[in-house]
Amino acid sequence: MALIKGGKMKIVKKIGSLIAGISLFAMTISTHAFAKFPEKTVEMTILFGGTAKSVGQLVAKGLEKNLGGTVVPVSRTGGGGAVGYKYIQSRPASGHDIVWNSNSVSTSHYKGKTKFNYKAFEPISAMTTEVPVLAVKSGTFNSVKELAAYVKKNPGKLKVGISGKGSFTHLTSAIVFDALGGKVTYIPYGKGKAPAELLAGRIDAAVQWPGQFRSFHKAGQLKMLAVTSPNRIPSDSNIPTMQELGYKKVDVVMWRGLAAKKGTPKAQIKALEKAAAAYANSSEFKAASKKIGFTINYLNAKDFGKKIAKDDKKIKKLMNKLGLAKK
Amino acid sequence: MENLITALGLINNYEVFIAICIGSFAGIIFGAIPGLTYSMALALMLPFTFTMQPVTGISLLLATYIGGMTGGSISAILIGIPGTPSAAATVSDGYSLSKKGDASIALGTAVIVSTIGGLISLSLMIVMVDFISKFAIKFGPAEIFMLVLFGFSTICGLAEKSLFRGLVAGLLGLMLMTIGTDEIEGVQRFTFGNVQMLQGVNLLVAMIGLFAVPHILEVFNSRICDEDQKNYDIDVVKTKLPSFALLKKYFNLMLRCVGLGTSIGAIPGSGGPIAAFLAYSHAKNSEKDLKEKELYGKGHLGGVIAPETANNAVTGGAMVPLLSLGIPGDPATAIILGGLLIHGLVPGPMLFIENAPQVYSIYLAILLAYIVVFLFQVNFIKHIVKILRVKPHHLAVGILIMVVVGSYAIRNSFLDVNVMIIMGLIGYFFNRIRLPVTPIVLGLVLGRTIEQEYRTAMSLSAGDPSIFFGSIVCVLFFMLIILTIALQVRKRVIDVRNQKKLKEVNQA
Repeated sequence: MALIKGGKMKIVKKIGSLIAGISLFAMTISTHAFAKFPEKTVEMTILFGGTAKSVGQLVAKGLEKNLGGTVVPVSRTGGGGAVGYKYIQSRPASGHDIVWNSNSVSTSHYKGKTKFNYKAFEPISAMTTEVPVLAVKSGTFNSVKELAAYVKKNPGKLKVGISGKGSFTHLTSAIVFDALGGKVTYIPYGKGKAPAELLAGRIDAAVQWPGQFRSFHKAGQLKMLAVTSPNRIPSDSNIPTMQELGYKKVDVVMWRGLAAKKGTPKAQIKALEKAAAAYANSSEFKAASKKIGFTINYLNAKDFGKKIAKDDKKIKKLMNKLGLAKK
Repeated sequence: MENLITALGLINNYEVFIAICIGSFAGIIFGAIPGLTYSMALALMLPFTFTMQPVTGISLLLATYIGGMTGGSISAILIGIPGTPSAAATVSDGYSLSKKGDASIALGTAVIVSTIGGLISLSLMIVMVDFISKFAIKFGPAEIFMLVLFGFSTICGLAEKSLFRGLVAGLLGLMLMTIGTDEIEGVQRFTFGNVQMLQGVNLLVAMIGLFAVPHILEVFNSRICDEDQKNYDIDVVKTKLPSFALLKKYFNLMLRCVGLGTSIGAIPGSGGPIAAFLAYSHAKNSEKDLKEKELYGKGHLGGVIAPETANNAVTGGAMVPLLSLGIPGDPATAIILGGLLIHGLVPGPMLFIENAPQVYSIYLAILLAYIVVFLFQVNFIKHIVKILRVKPHHLAVGILIMVVVGSYAIRNSFLDVNVMIIMGLIGYFFNRIRLPVTPIVLGLVLGRTIEQEYRTAMSLSAGDPSIFFGSIVCVLFFMLIILTIALQVRKRVIDVRNQKKLKEVNQA
């Protein structure tokens, strides 16, 4: 009896393994039909240093976890993003080359550095936003109102520090001071020097990332006056928005997200989008956003595409107005 | 004191110790191999620190930085190819000493003075961080411009034979620097519509090309032309370390170079290479004994001590703008800044209040890293000098591979490999017509700063050049520049006169 039972068990086991084998076979067929992705290492091109790079590296790690393949962040900096965008355009559209992109796709195009524009890329997902903040030295101007009054009275006198002509902080400053209704002088200085230049009084105001100013604001040496986004930012919720202060037109944020070359198959984009969504919702990414000081702002491929197109129009108009666009 | 004890608790952990050992070792190796740089080592390390405890992660990065800063001198001295830009000033005397057979003395000295320089500057920084950061803020665009211009006047010291030849090379460096994106106006310069060219000429890539390629060509050239020559006398390679008495002689010079390195490191936007070049020229110019002075450039120990002390003293100074203002001085400190941010340590005045224990543990990590690097290197020298026993043409093949891989890896760009080869040919050509190559590096190091600070200063003053004489610091540097140039011109005039006299005597 026991022997028969054992035989039955064996048969059941055999049938079981047969079924398993067939289903495995079927699975390999089905995955073959959809082409396994990623087939090889996914390379994520990073266009800038600083926070852009730090966050990009985190996102690459997060994608790796959720994608089931290796994702390597590779820096290709230079030309305000142009070098990296161009690299992506030179690669096959297989989804194995993605870029950690930003508004720079529009700025570098209108500056004449790239012949192609945002339409040469397939959006995957928006991940983060960073919001510039307007800051001054403590004791000089106490509010945006005071600053606006000064600018109106003394056109061209206020020295505003920017990272370089045509940089994102320049565009943001132009929007802010346009709204305040006065002319100012722009001083381009090296990256990251804004706090030191403000403290020393060599410049009067600067529009930069809040992370650069936060510590000085807390210590009472610099004063953050307003952020340029429509809503307050979680990391500095005590700073009012420009819109709250009555400058309704000011709505500038720097978004960062993922994109691939135009023509990348839908399935690949979907897989990447899914992995990005999973990481955007992870507690790990949330913790990082608090520490580094960016806002998580996930958008799916479709919405991201709309946002890029909308921003592109805005940037084009602004750069033409400032005389920065290359004709 | 309380903070210090908390910090000791944070750092008294085997993980931190292992991190420091790994970092130091990786830094030394990456710094020592021409083509690999410690910035690269830092970039590779950074992702690993994400998941570590803050103090462990930052210790790893700092140890890599310090290991690299000292490691750069190894290849500069042994094979005449600087491992990092900061070691470029060490090449002429370090390599000459090595050729004389004193490689181990030169290396040992470099290691010891690096450690001394680093530790003194660290202590200066701990004691005077407030004072130094206030001093650093005073350096606006006009002041930095004058400082860098002063740095450029040291070209006189680097041009061994003729000032004119030095200037030709220096100007070439300045011109090469203008290729790429102009960061102030954001326009393209000399890119010929090529997107890759927007990246410009990278300092490291140019340096690798200028020093390594001519070396490789020279080695093969002499081998092919002179088949059965005995390439190297193995017995010449000694493994002796410098004596205490020898170092004592240079103690004053060391102290001065520490001061120089710390203050230059503290000024935002300047870094190791500028400090090293200024220290080298200072050492040469302050030498009273004419016979000794003649030896500079031909293998004088002072020419190793000065730049090596100064470039390590920069590490302490550089922590000031990094921690108190969030301004990185060079690509390496920029990566460390990234590491700090990821662990929620935001630079600025509040860092010293809110995260005081972490700040103190950063100090302790630097201290520990210097000790580890020192021990590693002292034991390392005996073995590393044996590399000179390898036949030069075998070594050259290895270097060739490293420089190609290395120049690509800096920015993942093949443009850089091409630039490296072109720079290499320029370097070889320059060697042939006896133009010095070090001023090209100087031009590339200083060029970007000199141009940007000048333009920023001019836009601050709305086009009024009087801003360059608007502060005591500016005027002081201006006087130093005038003094340097005047002394050089006087020396050249006297030299020419002496030669004429000599000729007349000979003819008579």
